[in-house]
Amino acid sequence: MSTIKLEIVTPHGVIYDGNVSVVTLCGKDGEFGVLPGHASLVSLLDAGIITATTADKKEIVVAINGGYAKVSEEKVSTIVDGAVAIKDETGKLSSNLEKAKELLKSAQTSDTAIATAVSKVDTIK
Amino acid sequence: MAGLKDIQRKIKSVKGTQKTTRAMKLVSSAKLRRAEQVAKASKAYSIKITEMIEEIAANIAKSQDEIDHPYFKSVAQPKVVDIVMVTSDKGLCGGFNSQTIKQVNTLIAKFEGEGAKVRLRAIGKKAIAYYKFQQRDMLDQIDGLSSAPDYQEAAEFINKVVESYLNNETDRVVIVHNGYVNMITQEIKIDNILPLDPNEFTGTSVSTSELEMEPDDDSLLEELLKRFFEYTIYYALLDSLAAEHSARMQAMDAATTNAKEMVKNLTVKYNKARQEAITTELIEIISGVESMK
Repeated sequence: MSTIKLEIVTPHGVIYDGNVSVVTLCGKDGEFGVLPGHASLVSLLDAGIITATTADKKEIVVAINGGYAKVSEEKVSTIVDGAVAIKDETGKLSSNLEKAKELLKSAQTSDTAIATAVSKVDTIK
Repeated sequence: MAGLKDIQRKIKSVKGTQKTTRAMKLVSSAKLRRAEQVAKASKAYSIKITEMIEEIAANIAKSQDEIDHPYFKSVAQPKVVDIVMVTSDKGLCGGFNSQTIKQVNTLIAKFEGEGAKVRLRAIGKKAIAYYKFQQRDMLDQIDGLSSAPDYQEAAEFINKVVESYLNNETDRVVIVHNGYVNMITQEIKIDNILPLDPNEFTGTSVSTSELEMEPDDDSLLEELLKRFFEYTIYYALLDSLAAEHSARMQAMDAATTNAKEMVKNLTVKYNKARQEAITTELIEIISGVESMK
């Protein structure tokens, strides 16, 4: 199965760096999925949730409070202002749930976007 | 014995200096640890955003024959060059600032040799003081920022530079700072931030498809570039601060060692002088007794 490299970087360090088979990004104009071989794209990201699935079907979930994404055929780089990992290869990080919600609530964006993202955090199993 | 007293006083004074330099070294190493952590954490972001801009530039270069974006163009002969330099606010850090100033002087000579006018924008008291003494006009200066980097202030500073570039007041902007490599090494770094010459990035991996922007074309790129400029200067400040502390730590360590050496030599000198005095006194007594016989 082909994979695409995903990088999530904040001013405080790298949150995620690894190969995934699919990524869903929270663009300003709506969510969009990226598969390996996606056409080049630069997008503004809204506060929300980035989800990705690794090659061995593990789910990655990261909450962000806005930033930019640059997609090319083999790489998705996102640079965001703040990010909290909610779920990584080892499973759910319950201790980060509250932090993620706080991060989302502090984001400067529309209330609906924040509410959607926060409710999504709540539904993560 | 005046000589003995003098040496004693000197030893005391050197010991005092040694105490100060040792304390400064300890303070610097503690501060360095913090500054290093901050700089390291933001390094990844700085590298990524630079990479992203380079890829976009390469993409633009490929997809358009005529590049008309003001930020992306190549200037063969710049008429006005702005040099932004970062130095520390405090001294006692060895050759840290003089290295930066030397590099800037080399750049000034180079650009002026090519017929360009150089304008200086200085961050940090040391650069300001140096060029004031040299009676060179400063376009912009700010102190207090390099010892406590602040994103907002750094952004304001660089935005003035970008604005002046967009108004065609300058053709080229270069940032010079002394960066952190490790505990004992600092390295001068020169960033050409404007213009972003697309031809320079042709080596980076370019994707084959045409670049799309979402949402709107210009505003997104504009925003991303703004972030890039702001972050580049902010990172230069963080990097410079870490380097400053490591340079100071080294300088103070050397000073402490020198003081120690000096105390050792002075002590030897003191002991010799004391023995000499005793010998002289003994001879005086003995010869006195001899003459009484």
